[in-house]
Amino acid sequence: MKKKLVSVLLAAAMSTSLLVGCGEEAAQTVQETAETVQETAQETTEAVQETAEAVQETAEEITDYGTGEIKIWVADAVVDFTNKQVADFIAANPQFAGYTVTVEAVGEGDAASNMITDVTAGADIYGFAQDQTARLVAAGALEEVAPENVDAIKSQNAAGAVVAATVGDTLYSYPMTADNGYFLYYDKSVVTDPSTLEGILEQCEAAGKNFYMDLTGWYQVAFFFGTGCTLTYDSDNDGNFTGCNVDYDSDKGLVALNEMIEVAGSKAFQPGSSAGDAVNYAAIIDGTWDASTVKDFLGDNYACAKLPTFTGSDGATYQMSGFNGCKLLGVKPQEDENKLAVCDALALYLTSKDVQLARYNEVGWGPSNLEAQADDAVKADEALSALSEQFAFTVPQGQYPGDYWTNAEALAGDVQNGLQGASEDDVKAALKDFQEKIAAAR
Amino acid sequence: MSNTSVAKKNPVGSFFSAVGNVFKDIGVIFVQGDWRTKISYLIMGFGQIMRGQFLRGGMYLSIEVLFIWFMTSFGSKYFSKLGTLGTIETYKKNRKTVYGDHSFLILLFGLLALFFIIFLLFCWYKNIKDNQKEELILKSGKKLPGSKADFLSLFDSNFDKTLLALPVTGVFAFTVLPIVFMICVAFTNYDATHQAPTKLFTWVGFENFKNMFSFGTGGFGRTFGGVLLWTLVWALLATFIDYFLGIAVAILINKKGIKFKKFWRTCLVMTIAVPQFVSLLYVSKLFDSAGIINGTLMKWGIIDSAIPFWTDPLLAKVTIVVVNIWIGIPYLMLMATGLLMNIPADLYESASIDGATPWQMFRHITMPYMLFVTGPYLLTSYTGNLNNFNVIYLLTGGAPKSMSYTGGAGATDLLVTWLYKMTINDTDYKMAAVIGIMVFIVTAVISLSVYRMLPSVKDEEGFQ
Repeated sequence: MKKKLVSVLLAAAMSTSLLVGCGEEAAQTVQETAETVQETAQETTEAVQETAEAVQETAEEITDYGTGEIKIWVADAVVDFTNKQVADFIAANPQFAGYTVTVEAVGEGDAASNMITDVTAGADIYGFAQDQTARLVAAGALEEVAPENVDAIKSQNAAGAVVAATVGDTLYSYPMTADNGYFLYYDKSVVTDPSTLEGILEQCEAAGKNFYMDLTGWYQVAFFFGTGCTLTYDSDNDGNFTGCNVDYDSDKGLVALNEMIEVAGSKAFQPGSSAGDAVNYAAIIDGTWDASTVKDFLGDNYACAKLPTFTGSDGATYQMSGFNGCKLLGVKPQEDENKLAVCDALALYLTSKDVQLARYNEVGWGPSNLEAQADDAVKADEALSALSEQFAFTVPQGQYPGDYWTNAEALAGDVQNGLQGASEDDVKAALKDFQEKIAAAR
Repeated sequence: MSNTSVAKKNPVGSFFSAVGNVFKDIGVIFVQGDWRTKISYLIMGFGQIMRGQFLRGGMYLSIEVLFIWFMTSFGSKYFSKLGTLGTIETYKKNRKTVYGDHSFLILLFGLLALFFIIFLLFCWYKNIKDNQKEELILKSGKKLPGSKADFLSLFDSNFDKTLLALPVTGVFAFTVLPIVFMICVAFTNYDATHQAPTKLFTWVGFENFKNMFSFGTGGFGRTFGGVLLWTLVWALLATFIDYFLGIAVAILINKKGIKFKKFWRTCLVMTIAVPQFVSLLYVSKLFDSAGIINGTLMKWGIIDSAIPFWTDPLLAKVTIVVVNIWIGIPYLMLMATGLLMNIPADLYESASIDGATPWQMFRHITMPYMLFVTGPYLLTSYTGNLNNFNVIYLLTGGAPKSMSYTGGAGATDLLVTWLYKMTINDTDYKMAAVIGIMVFIVTAVISLSVYRMLPSVKDEEGFQ
């Protein structure tokens, strides 16, 4: 069985790599011949650039971008939308007409892991969630944003989204949405006051309903950051982690961990953050992507709110915090500078204010563009307004290494088992152990 | 004569003496051979062609030409870098990316080239021996077989070679090469931060194995020990509990006086009819803390809070074993039903005349017979359970996790599911390759040692 599995995996890996190898070689020879031509072309454009901006615009129109194929990976929900936008883009920019663009449905999570597994076979432009940024940069799957666009992107998008797209001090991707965060969905008829965690749990328990919250890495920071702990990682421009700033092993951290243990000990508590898998719930901590699922389930009793406060083991009241983040659009490093220019322009267009707003109207993805966020339709969205209320208490999600997520998941496991009813010393020891492990994560 | 006696005593010694003989042959044939043979040392197949064996000689020659073409056009570029797995880093030229060495392809094609070289050396030696044989035949005054006779022998005396050519090539390309590749990965630092083509990876010797057995912080030692222990215990429980319960159920249904035999069998076999991918995922939801079992029990007021079927480490293990009984019994029942009918009835008759109780008959007739016949099955089933990916991965995915385990392993993870998670989630190929080797060692040691102890192997005619 195992032999079979491994050999099948390896055979698959081999055959893909063989294909890739051939494709790449062919591309290389073509590219090498084109290289000299390109360089001279580029030198001329550079010279023109230096003279004046007005001239540069005309020069750009003259530039022959050649022909090629561009592959885009986006989530299933926005494939049609993206196709339409790409068609508009090509129509508006006839100089790129030589490129055929194909849009494929690859979810954000799969896109990131596929890119990491095999960069050469991956898409040229792809959407992903911000927690993958560092991994993608480290695997060489993200090209830096063209220098001329950096300032505009930084000024037009929400600060959190820009942080998420940045590794070291380099902007690597284009913010597409700023709705990657979590807040409280609840059943109005069961939970009358969603302002305190204790109140919510009590009312859920009394009604025999479930309270869903995930305690893994992305969600557990609601407690740790809520009590004032910090956790950030330093990374260099290549996506390598160089240091960790953490103060979990402290009184504040202890309060947070105790609260997690208490919440997990409630009989209304269920681990999970996927509304589609949740059953019989009166409250769930989830993100905007599940808004329609929750709405269908709760019907008229559907309501959203920012995350509640909780009373810690030290008697003080803390507001639950969390990460805020976004979906990003990335461009793969290209061996052809012209194609890269087209990809840059296309990615920039697909994340522009108008397209973000159109995307919101079409599929409900909350925009990261500040102007688009100020739009009336966006402001009227119940889930998005709960999220933006919660965003006031959250921390922009920077880059975290894979080991952090692995260890945080392990802590979540312990919180629900080994640490239930454990002595204070054991809890402290677990906290110390956790801090040591995540501080060593690279 | 001395060679054969050495072979019996010492396989290593006989190997070296065989290698010595090969070198001796090469020298002796060169000195004693005629000019055609001597030129064949450089141009393979030359001697055969000159002596009129065009097919044979042409084959040797084409192998040599193919080899030279392969190495000059493709192979040598990878093979020469096999020692370092590449040194040229990927760099940026303006905004364009220029990829450097591709360590993954260097390792893969470098190995392919290495195998081709070994194959060529083998053919070269055969070519020399062939020349010598032909010279001897000609010297003794006989005629050499012509090309046509050579060709026809492929369907007669050499038919085995014709038949095996394709399978052997297939086994090599899809089994041997990938396995050797995987073993090599265990000695490199190929992981998430050394991802081809952007980053290079290189040989690190036994570093990964040291890490696998280190018990310090971040070391895999404790986790590996824990996962291995559970893997062995699981395979033991899953195999033998299923086995005995399956036989028990079969005996029960076979018993005279039981009505609706076919109905009971059908009920049990239904679990086989539904694909495991469906039924296991369903069962996993069934026992979930918010699943139908906990939900119903809580609604009826039998329990106060959910039973942690999948979240408590010990209970999760017990639940998995129980669920596996439900899946495993039908297969064993079917098999045992057939075998039980095969036991000679006269054995039972004479036993009952001697006044044996049913239990005694079961212990001294049924069980020995069953164990004898199903011994090899038990062994394969045990090794199969060591790597029973489906049940574990679909039921718990390895959960519950705990901080006492590193590398993302959970309390119910088997070595294979851990390997899978490491490859897919963490892209930690180097450690996954080490685990792969460990799985092989564990499986091989157990199967080989148990196989030698099996009664059906030691005493083939025990139950004739």
